[in-house]
Amino acid sequence: MSKKNDKLEALDLNAYYGDFHALKGINIVMEEKAVTAFIGPSGCGKSTFLRTFNRMNDYIDGFRVDGQILLDGRDIYQKDVRVDELRKEVGMVFQKPNPFPKSIFENVVYGLKIQGIKKKSVLEEAAEQSLRHAALWEEVKDKLDKSALALSGGQQQRLCIARALAISPSVLLMDEPASALDPISTAKIEELIYDLKNDYTIVIVTHNMQQAGRVSDHTAFFYMGELVEYNKTKTMFTSPKEERTQNYITGRFG
Amino acid sequence: MTNSERNRLKDKAFQVFGIFCTFIGLVVLGIFLIDIIIEGSRRLDWDFLTSLPSRRASRAGILTAWVGTLWILVLTTLIALPLGVAAGLYLEEYGRKGRWANFLEINIANLAGVPSIIYGLLGLEIFVRQMRLGSSLLAGALTLSLLILPIIIVTTREAIKAVPRSIRDGSYALGASKWQTVWNQVLPASFGSILTGIILALSRAVGETAPLIVIGALAYVPFTPSSPLDEFTVLPIQIFNWTSRPQAAFLENAAAAIIALLVITFLLNGIAVYLRNRQQRKIKW
Repeated sequence: MSKKNDKLEALDLNAYYGDFHALKGINIVMEEKAVTAFIGPSGCGKSTFLRTFNRMNDYIDGFRVDGQILLDGRDIYQKDVRVDELRKEVGMVFQKPNPFPKSIFENVVYGLKIQGIKKKSVLEEAAEQSLRHAALWEEVKDKLDKSALALSGGQQQRLCIARALAISPSVLLMDEPASALDPISTAKIEELIYDLKNDYTIVIVTHNMQQAGRVSDHTAFFYMGELVEYNKTKTMFTSPKEERTQNYITGRFG
Repeated sequence: MTNSERNRLKDKAFQVFGIFCTFIGLVVLGIFLIDIIIEGSRRLDWDFLTSLPSRRASRAGILTAWVGTLWILVLTTLIALPLGVAAGLYLEEYGRKGRWANFLEINIANLAGVPSIIYGLLGLEIFVRQMRLGSSLLAGALTLSLLILPIIIVTTREAIKAVPRSIRDGSYALGASKWQTVWNQVLPASFGSILTGIILALSRAVGETAPLIVIGALAYVPFTPSSPLDEFTVLPIQIFNWTSRPQAAFLENAAAAIIALLVITFLLNGIAVYLRNRQQRKIKW
């Protein structure tokens, strides 16, 4: 089997909210076109870490990082990196589905319109392709002009995934994408993640250990701002090296 | 009497007290309305709305007054809306939170509480004298804009605050800039509430008399204004003028003019309520 390229990397990454040291010296390398799961108890820094990859923390007062985050070998915290360009490359899906209060179509093409693309045929094609990719096309193809808020929670989340795919990123960050959904919708999202990994590098934060086991190739366990253990998901779940990891995945704390 | 009986009694007592308090306001308002309508309705007809002012009560009308009020409404909206919304947007979305922001916030709230006649004096000095606009519609509208700016800024900020963080995050995550996020997401989602606030502020401006008297708006204007630089009168000033006259016939005129002013105010408030309801139906977070 050929070795995959390294897509995302963190080098001695520290992050702070004011005086609070949220991430402590994180080093990690993530492969391209694979799914990496971040697990750990609430407040362990996994979401903060996820958000450093598209610099979503930039807007938080008092937040700062040192160390490096590399995307395709390039440090994204360099001054000459434009955040909007970065986010075209690194898409994100949030915990709670957050469709815009607009039509389904307008939701999907929002990112393209932001880039100044106005041609209707281009937008329509991109919308169909993204919705198909997010396994939502069949359900919404007849009501693209209806409000996105009328969709079910699971559909809304898949719409948010389609919206992220429409601007053709290479990385997809998912912050507990199924935690607000019912089991059937969750299963659909997981299936989708499985399909998407053929084309995208996916990083997913999850509280659900079974979910991490089902969808991810690699798992990283965070605790109190530290990366405790990082390994192939199978190895991690069957024979964790660290006691803290074992305690967490067997449900003894967290 | 047991404790729970006593509690229930207190509960009941407060309910009755509350109903009583509500009624005091409503009854006073009701009496006022009935009185005005009885006195004014005899005088209120098409002629009254389309006649110029006159020294003879029976021939006097409110054409110049309500046209002046509409002019003031439109001009004030054009001036205060962009200024107030932009200021509110800046303070809420762009400005850094800190001691300076708190200082600004407190002072904007203070400005909302400054008596309107003070704004009149300010307008007299700046707009009428320094900018040499004279006692014109434009000077009046600028003065009233100053008066309602704090209200518009505060309501704009509240409306923007109500737009959930997740919507902004969604927009930023797709590569949108701050301005694109504000323009495409925040403003459309909050515009109903902002508009409601503006209309309520305007309905206050429509009833203002003191600042306009100070800047020299006249009760007797023999023709309707045709440009923002013309002299003008408005309904409240016309009413004020008529009620200060001894003849009973002028009091009747005043009552009729009050009805006209109330209709304008109710219309504005009605639009505000309609917009708010529509907004609430359309967007549920």
